[in-house]
Order: sequence, then structure tokens, then C-alpha cells
Amino acid sequence: MSARLGHENVVIGSLAQIGRCGLFLLRILSAVPRSFQHVRETVRQLWFVGAMSLTIIMTCGLFIGMVLGLQLYHVLSIFGGTSATGSVVALAVYRELGPVVTALLFAGRAGTSVTAEIGLMRATDQIAAMEMMAVDPIAYVVAPRFLAGLIAMPLLCCVFCGLSIFGGHLVAVDWLGVDNGTFWSNMTANVNVWDDVINGLIWKSLVFGAVISLIAVFQGYTTPPTSEGVAYATTRTVVASSIAILALDFVLTAFLM
Amino acid sequence: MSQRKSYAAGTGLFIVLGFAALVYLATQTTSVVNSHQGASYTVEAQFANVGQLKERAPVKVAGVRVGQVQSITLLPGKDVAQVRLSIDRKFDQVPADSTAVIYTSGLLGDQYVGLQFGNAKSYLADGGHLVLTKSTQPLEEMLGKFFGAGGTADAFGGSYKVNAHFTNVGTLSVGAPVRMAGVAIGSVSDVKADPVKLDATVTMLINGKYNQIPDDSAAAIFTSGLIGSQYVAIQPGGSPNSLKDGDQLVLTQSAMQLEDLIGKFLVNGSSSGNNAGGNGSSNQPAGKH
Amino acid sequence: MIDTVQAQTEDRALVRVRGLTTRLNGKTVFDQLDLDIPRGKVTAIMGPSGTGKTTLLKHITGQMFGNAGEVWVDGQNVAELSRDALFGLRERIGYLFQNSALLTDFDVFENVAFPLRQHTRLPEVLIRNIVLTKLQAVGLRGAASLMPSELSGGMARRVALARAIVFDPMLILYDEPFVGLDPIALNQVLKLIRTLNETLGLTSVLVAHELEAIKQVADVIYLIANGKVVAQGDPKTIAGNGSPWTRQFFGGEADGPVPFQYPADDYAEALGFKQGAV
Repeated sequence: MSARLGHENVVIGSLAQIGRCGLFLLRILSAVPRSFQHVRETVRQLWFVGAMSLTIIMTCGLFIGMVLGLQLYHVLSIFGGTSATGSVVALAVYRELGPVVTALLFAGRAGTSVTAEIGLMRATDQIAAMEMMAVDPIAYVVAPRFLAGLIAMPLLCCVFCGLSIFGGHLVAVDWLGVDNGTFWSNMTANVNVWDDVINGLIWKSLVFGAVISLIAVFQGYTTPPTSEGVAYATTRTVVASSIAILALDFVLTAFLM
Repeated sequence: MSQRKSYAAGTGLFIVLGFAALVYLATQTTSVVNSHQGASYTVEAQFANVGQLKERAPVKVAGVRVGQVQSITLLPGKDVAQVRLSIDRKFDQVPADSTAVIYTSGLLGDQYVGLQFGNAKSYLADGGHLVLTKSTQPLEEMLGKFFGAGGTADAFGGSYKVNAHFTNVGTLSVGAPVRMAGVAIGSVSDVKADPVKLDATVTMLINGKYNQIPDDSAAAIFTSGLIGSQYVAIQPGGSPNSLKDGDQLVLTQSAMQLEDLIGKFLVNGSSSGNNAGGNGSSNQPAGKH
Repeated sequence: MIDTVQAQTEDRALVRVRGLTTRLNGKTVFDQLDLDIPRGKVTAIMGPSGTGKTTLLKHITGQMFGNAGEVWVDGQNVAELSRDALFGLRERIGYLFQNSALLTDFDVFENVAFPLRQHTRLPEVLIRNIVLTKLQAVGLRGAASLMPSELSGGMARRVALARAIVFDPMLILYDEPFVGLDPIALNQVLKLIRTLNETLGLTSVLVAHELEAIKQVADVIYLIANGKVVAQGDPKTIAGNGSPWTRQFFGGEADGPVPFQYPADDYAEALGFKQGAV
């Protein structure tokens, strides 16, 4: 199958993949009402993809904020504008770094594990067993993971941004000596709830969450049930998610600004 | 079952943490007053120059935000900007003869519209006009007065070379313009340290058509704009002899620290701009950071 | 004569396969296959590897559909069922997978309870009683709190069996239940198949290769090869019916109707020994 695809036009091949992915999304969405009876499963998945990703998200958020504070302080000190450090850290994190870095980490941490998990469930006949037990695997396995990713991404992104600002504050105020009041007042003066937090952070991370989850469950569900197939599928999840995130980030920024 | 409960508790904790972070971000790092909600009324004002004023810039009374700029349009057929201000309904007691002024918040900050209350007993209503306005004072104009900068570099035909020694060239680099009365007359072709005199030698190429520059003219290193690049300014002297190729400018004034300038500017006010130019002497220590 | 026998078996058949033809990736798996699975009996489906025995089970459960022909289960044409009706049918069919297919996220108890939790709103006490009863039946009540990764192959298969019978199905399908089991575990599973069939009164279908084991447990044996039933009968008589297929399969001969050599071009020619090939 893959050998035959190799001979086909690459463009048509990837278009077909996107089309199958879209149809799969429709299947998931139509299964979402039925998946509400498996709400426990959704909660369990939220624990795995969300709560278990907190450590990496918080650590990375802290360091991103710290390095932003450091870099911006030195650039802004050239113009004597170190008081703007707070607002620039916040804007950079809300609009770009928060959603994008969280999404990339999320794809690497949660996306791959979802793909591998579903792929292995297929390889070990667990998916078929569910079908045989008259349980729809789309409603029981796929939709809860999709929903969990959708819910977890914005929350993780908020935590990431909070930690980033904390990190930026740590470096700029506690270490480099920017005035605490200036740091916060400058930030509050320049950050807008609707433009930066709702449009920048929440919308972007929702879209990213949906895209990553869709790619992850799609790759897992359609992978050939072999160990090689699962390995390939996890790789494809990371690659496809990363490309999709960065491309969509540009599109969303262009539309939401 | 206990396993299942721990999932639920952990997940609940995660959700609460996420939402707490969102609430924190939304309330502590943004200003809710920046968002434009609630009833408002619109008044119009005309300005000769709105400068960098943008839509949704704040409208303030005594520094307190009362509304925002709704739209900025050009009045048809005139070079006058029509600005519509949307003022929150709860601030409905703005005297009709108030003055609208465009201010800049801080040196590099955004511009906003400030309302200075008049004494009229009647108040502005929806669709009202603010007759008295003060336009923006472009920073460039102020600094232009202050520094005497402006203009662009000419094309170079024949040119001649002049040297000058400075104790400090700041960030002057090769290719920087050489200006007289703000007009570019040449460019810096070389900057290097003099191993004997222990100062900086700047070589300038000056356009051949400016061959009437007195040879006792002074060279000074200035900064164009607040955060712009540096250039060499030639201040003509009174000698009857003109500069020739290979001559040296003896009177020089080194680069000044921007902090010094701004410090003086802010302390003395713009009225004393005339003494600022000659004041930054070369042997003065650099300002502290 | 043939007609009356046909009518009698149809009457007693829980599963009827008529004229089933299936092609997968250009290869014909079934070619006009006819088959009856009698109620209340243990039916074994045997055949060389790759003859589509597991595929036949998938046809019975509606996981797969043929290109032509019909599969009737308990009077319903599987291919024409709606999704909900198909799921309703599947609730009455137990299926034991080759590799047990236990859900790795849950312990043994939750694995067995899974179909109950998905399809019923029974009180926890009742679920507990049902699950423990089924686990007791397969002899693994003590293992209720183990995770699937802690089970041996034989235990996992018995847990899967307990899960398959948790709804007291009318039909249970065993896909290669003896593969990879040591003699003790094999006999345990064998005994379970027999006792479950007798005590619960259900119909069992076995797909397997192990001739000795099948002889102990099966009432009816079908031998499938080349997409057709090549022999059928009870364990005692089927081996002696004289067909070359049964002789090769039950005698365990390396060559026969199922060739040792995979179809290929001429050997001598491939090695370049024939004249003119050089």
C-alpha cells in the first residue's frame, strides 16, 4: 500500500491523507454524543494527556520565561526600555510562545503516547475486542482522547503562560533589578484581555489541541497493526503535528490580529 | 475503584489549576479596563495632526481612562483629521467647551487623547463636537529643534577627504552620513583608533560641490532621533579659507551619551534647547546607566 | 434424501453460511462456501493455515462482509443488519481472541466487568457478583486484582473466556484457543470449553489446528481448504472418509493437495539449466 503510494504523486497522496483525516474527524464528532456515556474514560484520558503533561509544561514554561526575561532585558536596556520587559514577556508568551511551545511539547508528550496507545490496542486486538463486545471504539477509545486533548491544551497553555511570566519576573525583577511595580503595571497596561488572552492564547491553543489530538488518534487508529507500523505512526504524529502547528499559527495570527 | 478515584481527583486538580491560571492571567496581567465593553457615546474632534494616534487608543481625563478613539478619518477635502471619540456613558459630564489634546505617554509610549475640562455649564452629548483641540507635537520636530538633524544623503560625484580626531565616536560606523545644517554632504569612510594619540580618527568623504566649507569648522557626532544611528555634523566656522582634500578638522566634539541628553532635556525643558547642543563636552564622563 | 437432511440441519443450525464468496486483495478466500453450525454443539473449523478460518469468524460477527452470499445468525442476515441491530447481535456472541485482547488499562475484574458496565446500569453489588461467578467458573477468582501484564498466556485466555461469557451468550467463538499453551493450560481450556457448552447450553465454534484436542471436544468438524468445505463429520468418522485432503491434514503429510512448494515458475529454468535460457 505504502509502496504504491510512493509511486503516486506526493501532492495527491498527502491530499488524500488530509481527506481521510477530515472524514475521521467527522466520525469522531458524530461519536462525541455517544462518548458522553463514557465520561469516566474522558476524565481518565484528561488525567493522562493533561495532568501527566504538567511537569514538562511547567518546567519548560519557567525556563522560556526566564530566558525571555534575560534576552529582552539586555535588548531593551540598549534603548533604556527595561521597564517594558514585563509587557513584552507577557505579549510574546500570550500571542506566540505560549500556544506554540505548549502545542509542540503536547504533541511530543501526549500526542505520541495517544498514537502509540491506540496503535498497540489495535495491534493486540483490543479495538476488535471492543467491537465484538458491542462497544464502539470510536466512541470509547478515540473520542475521549480527542476531547481530552481539546480540553487539556488551553489549560496547559494557561499554566505554561503563568509559569513563563513568573520566570520572566524572576529574572527581570529579582535578578536584574527591574522595578516590581513597573514590571506589573507595564504589563497590565499593554496586555488586553480580549486580544491577547482570549484571541491569542485560548483560541490558538484550542485549535492546536484539536489538530494535535486529531492527528494523534488518526495515526494511531489507522496504523498497520505491527510494531513497525506503531513506530512509524508515532513519528508521523510528531512531524505532522509540528508542521500543522507552525503553519496554522501563521494563519491564525493573520486572521486573529 | 480507588485507582479510578485518584484519576478523578488528579484530573480535577489539573482542571482547577488550569482555570486558576487562566483567571490569574486574565485579571493580574491584563487590565480589564482596556477592554471596551458597555454603553458609550461618541463625540468628534478635529486635529491638524494626529501623529501616531491609533484607533482604540485611550481617551483620558486627568490621566484616568474614560473612553477610546473609535475612528480616525481625513476630513473630505481638507488636510484635517477627524477623530471620533467613544466615551463611556458613565462619564457623561464632560463640559462642552473642553479641549482635546493629543499626548504621548512617556517618551516612547503610545499616544492618547487627553480631555482638559472647560467651564461651560452644558455637557457634551452623543454626536457633539470638541471645538478646541491641540494637535500632536511630533517628537521629530522637538528633537529636530534640539539636534538640528534631518535630510538624506546625496549621490556622490567627485569628493574630497577630511580627517578629524574624536575622543569618543560612540557607535559611529563607516557609511554614516556627514551633515551640515542637517543636510547630508558626505559620509564617513573610515573610523580607526590612532595608536599614538590614543583617540579615534574619522575619515570623511565630502561631496566635491561643497568645497566652500571654512577650514576652522567644527565636527560633532550627533544622534539622529532618539534611538537612531549617529552621524557627523559639520558646524561652519568663520575662516575665509576652505577645506581641501586631506585637511584635518581641529575643533571636534565627541559623541554624547543619549542618557545625558535626555536627562538634560527633561530637566531643563525644551525651552533651553539652544544651550544643549554645545554643552555635551568631550571630557565629561559618560552618564551612568 | 439430501433435501431432508438439509432441512433438518437448517432447522437446528444457529449459523448458516450460504454461497459465501470473499475476495481480499485479489485473492479468493471463500468460494461459494456453505456451512451450518448446529445449536448446542461444539463445532470445530479446521484447515491449513491461511484458509481464512479467522476471516470466517469475522463474517459471522459482521466485522467483515463477503462479496457474495449470505451469513445468517439466529435467523438474521448479518450483512443487512443496521449498526444498532448488529451491536445487539454481538452482545449475544462471545468472542475469544487469539491473543486474548484484554484491555491493558484495567485489572482482571474490570476487564470482565467491562461489557456489563458498558451495556447495563446494574448496581455495583450485582456486577461484583456476576463477575466473581464468571471468574470462579474459569478458576481465576483469586486473580481478580491482577493486571493483564501479570498474567500468563493461559490465565489471560481464561480471563478473556470469562469476559466472553459474562453476558451468557448464545454463541461463543474461539479463535485458536490452544495456541501457545502448555499441556496443563491446554487441558484447562479444553475442559472449560466442554463444561461451558454443557452447563450454559451455548453453541461453540472453535477454530484450531490441534487435532488431538479437537477430537476430545468437538461434536462436528469442518475441514476448509481452497475456500470450500472439503470434508465434514464427527471426529471419529471424518478422518476415514478417504478424501486426499483429510488424508493429508489428519495424517500430517508434508505434501499433498496442499503443495509443499509455493506456486513458482519452473525450477530448472530459474536456475538457468534449461537450454536457451542462457
